[in-house]
Amino acid sequence: MQNVLTRDNLLKWAPLLVLLALVLFFSVINPNFLSLRNFARLSISASPALMVAVGVTFIIIMGSIDLSMEGAVSALAVIFCYLLVWLGGSVAGLGCIAIPAILLLGAIVGAINGYIHVKLRIPSFMSSLAMGFVGTGAAVLMTGGNIVKIDDEVFRSLLTYRLLGFPLMAYVAFAFLLLGWVIQSYTRLGRNFYAVGGGEDLAHASGVHVKRVRVLGFALAGFFFSVAGLLQVAKLGQAESVTGANLMFISITSVVVGGVALWGGIGGVWNALVGVLIVAVINNGMIVIGIPDFIQDGLLGLLVIVAVVLSTDRRSVAFVK
Amino acid sequence: MSTFIKDFIEREKISRRNLLLAAAAGLTATSMPRMFGPGMAQADAGGWSLAWSYRDRASAYWNAIVSGGEAYTESLGLKKEDMTNLINEGSSEKSLADIKAFLAKNGGKGAIACDANDSPNARPVAEAVKEAGGYVSTIWNKTDDLHPWDIGDNYVAHISWSGEKPSAQAAKILFDAMGGEGGVVHLGGIPANIPAIERLNGLKVAQKDYPKIEILDTQPADWDTTKAAALMSSYLTKYGDKIKGVHCANDNMAYGVLQALKAEGITLPVVAFDGNPEAVDMVMKGDLLATVFTNPHWGGGIALALAHQAAIGKFKPSDEPKEHREFYGPSILVTKADAEDFKKKYLDSTPKYDWTDKWGLSAGQIEYK
Repeated sequence: MQNVLTRDNLLKWAPLLVLLALVLFFSVINPNFLSLRNFARLSISASPALMVAVGVTFIIIMGSIDLSMEGAVSALAVIFCYLLVWLGGSVAGLGCIAIPAILLLGAIVGAINGYIHVKLRIPSFMSSLAMGFVGTGAAVLMTGGNIVKIDDEVFRSLLTYRLLGFPLMAYVAFAFLLLGWVIQSYTRLGRNFYAVGGGEDLAHASGVHVKRVRVLGFALAGFFFSVAGLLQVAKLGQAESVTGANLMFISITSVVVGGVALWGGIGGVWNALVGVLIVAVINNGMIVIGIPDFIQDGLLGLLVIVAVVLSTDRRSVAFVK
Repeated sequence: MSTFIKDFIEREKISRRNLLLAAAAGLTATSMPRMFGPGMAQADAGGWSLAWSYRDRASAYWNAIVSGGEAYTESLGLKKEDMTNLINEGSSEKSLADIKAFLAKNGGKGAIACDANDSPNARPVAEAVKEAGGYVSTIWNKTDDLHPWDIGDNYVAHISWSGEKPSAQAAKILFDAMGGEGGVVHLGGIPANIPAIERLNGLKVAQKDYPKIEILDTQPADWDTTKAAALMSSYLTKYGDKIKGVHCANDNMAYGVLQALKAEGITLPVVAFDGNPEAVDMVMKGDLLATVFTNPHWGGGIALALAHQAAIGKFKPSDEPKEHREFYGPSILVTKADAEDFKKKYLDSTPKYDWTDKWGLSAGQIEYK
């Protein structure tokens, strides 16, 4: 029994404990918070952000960063909508091709992103940010500032159809989370992410093809960004050049709050899940308990710092930059 | 300093200068055809060059503003490409720098319409234009203490749109649809934005005549669809069935609200602001109760027309009364009853405006509180 409360164990479970503490805190102040209906609402707002967070988790595990998510999600969502409309407007018919097409395109875009980073030897921070701008620019170009609407009830059932109180999109997001977990834990690529993040030179010396792992990592992130794009369209019934806006802050914050270390090698997709839930719970809870709007942003920032302090192991790190 | 480092720095300096020279050459090359091509056409603008300085092309609103500017340019017998687009991307510094560069390139002979991006930037823009000898009209952003008549004829006019009165009208339609009682939630724009403040005030003003209406909550969703959907969900958790109506400060947020309600299978009366084409379609379908149209096409055209006509001496701004120097643009309430006619008139085809009728659609002099 005494072994359960070790420092390692505490650190491992700290993000989850933070989440539970927040849920408890908001529920005590307003019992409405602790209801199935509210959790369903949380799942809707968190699903696209979760997909982005899972995608970027792989990159952060490698010790890099991918900031292309906003542009990538916007562009992919817009392309999906145009493709779906062009293919007849319903996923019940020919339109179903649009889904795998957009997942593939997401992976290709991600791979290009990674290839630029690796081949041109540009830091991932800059190359991915630039690619994000390209994505946003492409979305503006395609839409001309307008909105593309999707009224297909079959596709929108991701939002409207409920199973045990939760919308279908929550299950879809969970299924992709499991896929991410399988890749992370049971594939060579997943283990290589950790090897690269833990010590790139060592990984290289041990025969890991680091460059290939990096490009594949970005391709995987792009794949998950495309899932996020699909879920955004399912959630809002439309796509435009700002569909991906705000996803950068939410996803990166979530991943770090969930206990994934920005210096690489530590954490995984479950941390991303807990992190996304923490941020979603804070945002929703502040409204539900009635925090005045002008202090919400400041409070969110403070809570994020507290959550990071509690949930990451900084003792083993020589310096933080 | 070692000679090695000195040499290195010197070499870098030279290569940077070469790069700058190359860039300048490139710029000249792209502007060359403009100097020679539409040279004839520019004579039609009385030797003045036209420009619109605005945020970006990522929204229907700014596209409509630009289309107005282009319509005015075409009315002079020019091509719409003859109006230069100065896109500031939400940066006040870029806005000012672009305008200065445009004036410098045209030897000061620039007629410019501009949204200065934020209120404090309007003064440096107006002063830069005056110094260069150009003419400018501004829309939306300007501080309350800055007036065109204080700067002089070079600052021709400022146009804004009152948010309070039309927002109150929309709120009344909402309250009537609710049977005059029950709870209302408001989703606002970015907190410090003037239109966000005015549109919220409109709701509060309207509520005074409806004692049984309770404003449950007002929170910002930053004009954003995704944020609005999440905020509406949180409202539903907090207030549940007490919410009988929703008041949104713009159309984009209303789209998010309607989706959050759709997810729960709830229908509530919702009103919005901007009169975007999608919103008007929703009003026709009955999903949205009302929206307010501010005719950005006319606003974009008339702002440029004022600057240009003052530049070519068609009128002298200082001879005009103050209500011609600072005025509100028009606002049209769109409800189900008139949505179809509205769409035919304003969206399916763009009405042709007489740009010499400069104040025909003005809704009166701007009031400061």
